[in-house]
Amino acid sequence: MSANRWLATGNYFTTYREEQRIFFTHIDRLLFAAFLTALFAWPLFIEASSKYMLIFDNILVAVIAVLGLNLVTGFGGLISVGHAAFVGVGAYTVACLAQIIGDQHVLITHAWPLMIVAGGLTGAVFGLIVGLPALRLRHLYLLMATLSFQMIFQWVVGFMDFFNQGQFIYVGRVYWFTGEVGRSVHYNFWYYALLTTVVVLGFGVRNLLRTRYGRSLVAVRDNDRAADAMGMHPGFTKVSAFGLAGFFAGVAGAMQAYLNRGAGFETFTLHESIQYLAMTIVGGLGSLPGTFFGPAAIKMLDLQMENLAEWAGHLLPSSLDLATGLRPLSFGLVIVLFLMFEPRGIANWWRILRSYVKLWPFRY
Amino acid sequence: MSYFLQLVFSGIVVGSIYALAAIGFVLIYKSSRVLNLAHGQIIATGAYIMYVLTVWVGIPIYLSFVMSMIITFFLAMSVERIFLRRLIGEPIISVIMVTIGLMSIIDGLIYLTPFGSENFSFPPFLPREPIMLWGTYLSYTQVAGVVITFILIGAFSWFFKKSTVGISMRAVSDDQMASMSIGISVPKVFGLAWATAGLTAAAAGGILGNITGLNFDTLHAFGILVFPVVILGGLDSLLGAVVAGILMGLIQQFAGGYLDGNWGLNGTGQVLPYILLLVLLLFKPHGLFGTHEIERV
Repeated sequence: MSANRWLATGNYFTTYREEQRIFFTHIDRLLFAAFLTALFAWPLFIEASSKYMLIFDNILVAVIAVLGLNLVTGFGGLISVGHAAFVGVGAYTVACLAQIIGDQHVLITHAWPLMIVAGGLTGAVFGLIVGLPALRLRHLYLLMATLSFQMIFQWVVGFMDFFNQGQFIYVGRVYWFTGEVGRSVHYNFWYYALLTTVVVLGFGVRNLLRTRYGRSLVAVRDNDRAADAMGMHPGFTKVSAFGLAGFFAGVAGAMQAYLNRGAGFETFTLHESIQYLAMTIVGGLGSLPGTFFGPAAIKMLDLQMENLAEWAGHLLPSSLDLATGLRPLSFGLVIVLFLMFEPRGIANWWRILRSYVKLWPFRY
Repeated sequence: MSYFLQLVFSGIVVGSIYALAAIGFVLIYKSSRVLNLAHGQIIATGAYIMYVLTVWVGIPIYLSFVMSMIITFFLAMSVERIFLRRLIGEPIISVIMVTIGLMSIIDGLIYLTPFGSENFSFPPFLPREPIMLWGTYLSYTQVAGVVITFILIGAFSWFFKKSTVGISMRAVSDDQMASMSIGISVPKVFGLAWATAGLTAAAAGGILGNITGLNFDTLHAFGILVFPVVILGGLDSLLGAVVAGILMGLIQQFAGGYLDGNWGLNGTGQVLPYILLLVLLLFKPHGLFGTHEIERV
């Protein structure tokens, strides 16, 4: 790095510490701070309808979940097709407690940050259990383990009386310092709660990747035997990656339960798991910025497909249910096309853009 | 006693279709080390093609069975050519992801046809009255299904043991480098593996559709249930697929027959295979007949 920390036109690192920095120049830091401020401030100036606010909230929930999935699949190289089930574990932690002690109990309505952490921890426990086969096995078999967890979860929720057989379980409205969070500000309130969580967890992941554990995760993905020879513990690394993914998913699930004011079966199916995977791939496997692009891109695609189906529904015979078909078709296509033509995802476009701006007016 | 026998028979019927479906999996995995997660969707496609040919076009059912197998043969081959061919040499994780994407694409395409939401059933072509056997009822369709399945399985084992193409496929699964050096076209073998897998999938779909009727949700669940079967039998063993298929069919029927309705349990047939799979992965990860390439990491 050049002595000037305001501008940099290339890499001038002389120590590893410099290379590990989160922000390379002060301009980076300022821009990022401005971006964050804008994210926090815009709802104060622009009145968004609750439909769109809900979409933003859903994107943020998905970002939290995908942070976990990207840790295990992108950085750890272990496919998990049961991520929606882990999200479900978080959501049902809250919902079950609401079922037992009543959905207006003080613990649910006032101590909700605690409940969110509890959801995360439950998710982490399940993640560790499901990740146990990772001690001995790789790719396909792990995929099977997570798939079977997904199926077992679906069965437990769908058939047990305790879980209302997959019917909606209500969770009460939360209280903030100003009193109960009412209907009109519900989505705005959760936008702020989610955004704060995303920022905290995002910085958490960014820092995790700079630690010994994060780098051993990447080393294990690239070649686990070499990592073993270099003194890392691949089995432990993989299993704990699953635990971490479970934690993130649990947090996402608990927040989703609060956001939707309850938990129901259809939010946690295999289909949703595949959607999380699609988000991870489209964003960019093993890239932190990708974790934010992916959910946004897929949710927007979903929304546009719905609009398209609605528009085309007037032109086509009504017996044709376009929406149910177009959504899986579109994101299946997106997964396949991204894997074939841009395996590094939208994050790669972001990287190219950044380096272009950084080197401008030169091209090298 | 006759209830027990009834469960055994229906377990064998379902299990042999599982076996046929699992063979498609094993074929692809054996030659190209790809786990085709979209296999259930290919099964569904085969079944619907057969329905279209039989009912809408009006071709005799035996002919349409064969024709649907041939069409799916070429469909699966083109799937390999379009999507998988350019991924040779990519990390296994992206190959698996592509099959997951394919799963979603075919799902979407099926939902766009009338088949996505309704139930369809084949016109009966065998005598309606059931066969009585030691106090149990079996339909002619079920018996025919099992017979056809075993004929196909027998034909495949002959194909792998004796025919040149089969032997070259086995060679590729053993060592790709060595088989390339003796003049086997490895990409061609990959394509062929997918194509034969499509053929067995269509057969499984056709038989299943004749026994239980066509409903996309059922076919979907069936496709996903094939994964535990393949892992139980060992990913690269044809014999394992057959044994595990029938075993899984029996387990499912017994669970459904004896557990459901007692102790507040329901739908255990759907979940027991997965519980078994999770336990199996911890203790005997390479299945009953799979090759042990354990790498403890």
